[in-house]
Formats: sequence, structure tokens, C-alpha cells
Amino acid sequence: MAVASPLEIELKVFEDHRRDWAQAHLGKFVVIRENNFLKAFFDEYEDAFKAGIKEFGAERNFLIKQIWKTEPVYFVA
Amino acid sequence: MRMATYQFPWNPFDPADPGPCIKFSVTRYVDDIENGKSIGLEYPEPPIPTALIDTGSPFTIISKVLAKTCNLFLTNPKFPIRTLNGDCDTEEYCGPISFPGSGLPRIGAVQILARDFYKEASYACIIGRNILRRWDVRFNGQGRLVTIIAPDSFKS
Repeated sequence: MAVASPLEIELKVFEDHRRDWAQAHLGKFVVIRENNFLKAFFDEYEDAFKAGIKEFGAERNFLIKQIWKTEPVYFVA
Repeated sequence: MRMATYQFPWNPFDPADPGPCIKFSVTRYVDDIENGKSIGLEYPEPPIPTALIDTGSPFTIISKVLAKTCNLFLTNPKFPIRTLNGDCDTEEYCGPISFPGSGLPRIGAVQILARDFYKEASYACIIGRNILRRWDVRFNGQGRLVTIIAPDSFKS
């Protein structure tokens, strides 16, 4: 049986909503855990994390994604 | 607003010098640790490795080994990046970061990418612009001194 990779469900939820969210919340951060996501969108990654902790707790990981129409690739050394 | 100042020497003319470095510590989210302690769990003191201050990096990056050791909070398993070797996905974590011995204020939650630090003995972290934007960083070339001035709180 295949083992799900971490946050696989959350990444699918994000892709399912990416187009809609990109129209209304471009550049904002969204917080997703399993099939649930916060109704608020955030300007800063850190604010999104704190809101996720408040809503979902810290026992399990949740996904934080910045919303772009296509995924940017950042250069790092 | 209170400001903290940390000053340290750096010789940019020494080719063996890795760059301006600072001691740091990352941990699991602090409230999570406090909750664990309240039910009797024990947490070892986090390691205090060295970080390179790098204005060329958009993000703060730590070694994968350190991210796992410190049990950081995973927020994205597939963060796309581009390196000199090509495009790949890496893991993104979140955690508080502090700078022991510097007097600089702890940052309560910061985005941290994880990478393999092959054959890099001088540092286990790159302090990128997502942290540097909070600080005023100055380099005095004649005095060979780096000065970091950091406010107690930060608003982007």
C-alpha cells in the first residue's frame, strides 16, 4: 500500500482552489489542514503560521502556501 | 521602540573566512514545547550552531539534519527552488529562531527552508533576507566590524 507523503492532501486542496484564490487573493498566504482551510488570507507567512496554530493546534503539521497563478521558483545558493 | 545592537569582527580579506557569521538556535514551536513539558515530556537543549549572514539568499536555509533534529514544524514538503544544479523541491519549515549571546531578540516564527549542506563545516544555516529585512546590518570595511541593530518588534 502506498504511503501518503506529508501534506499530500493539503497540496491537492490547494491545487483544486488555486485558480479561484488567485483571482481574489493573489500573493496572500493560505493555511490548509486536511480538507479544511482558514477563511482568512494573510499578507505575511508568519501571521499565517500563528493563525494556523491558533485554529488547528501544533500537534500536526499544516500547509502554508502563497497564492500565485503559476508556482514561482526562487533561486537559492 | 527598544533596539538591540550586536557587533562582531569580520575580515572580508581573508579568503578562508566563510563570511559574517552568528550563533543561532532553532526549536519546535515554543508553545508546543511548553505543552509537552506540562505533561512531563523532556526536551533537550537545542544545539547552537553557526549561521552565515547572506544578503544573496531570499530565504533562511538550514541543514536538513538540523531541521529533523530540532523537530521543526513542516509547512510545505514541496517548496520549489532553483540552484546552480537545477530546479528541485525542498522542504519548508517554521520555527522560532534565536541568537544566543548576541542580545538580539528572538523571532517567534520564521520561514525556514531545509537543504543538504555538503562538506560545509563552517556553518549550518544561511540567514536570508526574510530575517535580514527585520534588521539594520552595517559593515565597516576599515574597522572590519559588522553591526546588527534589531528592534524588539517588527512590522513589515
